Amino acid sequence: MSAPLTRRSALGAAATLTLASCGGDDPPPGRAGPGSGAGLLASLLAFERAVVAAYDACFELLRGEALRHAREIQLHERDHARVLEDLIRGLGGTPPRGRRPQDYARQFPKLGSSEDALRFAQDLEERQIRGYLEGLTDLPDPELRSGVAALAADEGVHLATVHLLRGQAAAQDPFVTGAL
Amino acid sequence: MSATRRRLLGLAGAAAALPAASALGWPGGAAAQAGRSDVELLESLLAHEQRLAAAYEAALRRDAIEPRLGDTLLSHEREHLRGVEQALAGAGRRAPRAGVPSPGLGAALGARGAFARFALDLESSAVAAYLEALPRLRNAGLRRPLGSIMVCAGTHQVALRESIGEPPLPGRS
Repeated sequence: MSAPLTRRSALGAAATLTLASCGGDDPPPGRAGPGSGAGLLASLLAFERAVVAAYDACFELLRGEALRHAREIQLHERDHARVLEDLIRGLGGTPPRGRRPQDYARQFPKLGSSEDALRFAQDLEERQIRGYLEGLTDLPDPELRSGVAALAADEGVHLATVHLLRGQAAAQDPFVTGAL
Repeated sequence: MSATRRRLLGLAGAAAALPAASALGWPGGAAAQAGRSDVELLESLLAHEQRLAAAYEAALRRDAIEPRLGDTLLSHEREHLRGVEQALAGAGRRAPRAGVPSPGLGAALGARGAFARFALDLESSAVAAYLEALPRLRNAGLRRPLGSIMVCAGTHQVALRESIGEPPLPGRS
């Protein structure tokens, strides 16, 4: 049996996934102008796609209620990706193409148990919250900020659900910043 | 209605919270919010937090919520109140602590299930208020800390649903 996933290695994996998702080898988002927010949205989109792929990896280790709720969360994350694609198109941009599943999988930590999978999911949800709150601060247009604010609210629900699946209290902190 | 708006309406945490005239550029929504100052937006958020804190205080007194859950949610709301009050002070307005009982609270205190559903509605209304206000705050430095309160409200919704045996994730529309 492999050693349990430590918080350090889960965080490291989430950070690596973040960097890989925002890498310079991703094509720029079409013809959206500089300062439009399209670049930031594209980074958020890349991470959402990575999270969708990460949940696929988690499914292999989950059963029962945990698997059911994780599948539901993944469906929501797919919806989030579509929202971000729409927002990029609304700016006149073209959403960057996603990567192959095996390209994402290379960045994932070695998951040896359901607890490893849920800890990884929790860290990813926290990272998403952080990204969307950064978007809320930095995006130039109120309508774009509305979009990412709604996504941040959703990720809070996901995070609390993962807490429950880990046997923890759903609501833990008064200020959920996604800080790692 | 654009595809983006339809998709945003279907989201989990925000699904029950997006108001009819939201900040998504719907007729009347953006116009209604556009002219409000940061102080006005913060005051509306403060009112929601006051109602939530008052509700959890009352529920704990009347055993209408499991004590550990009630203590946690109340402590969070008190932190939220302090945060919003601080933001208001920074914007140059002192916030009076006024009692603002929510209509319907009395009836909801009769049973834990009734209170949980009542509190869920309050939390959803609070999320809706944050979704309206946050994108329009001119002080960008306020959006992340106040956004973290909004995200916390989503975790409260899950905790309350769990307390009444409902699934943590609401159904998608």
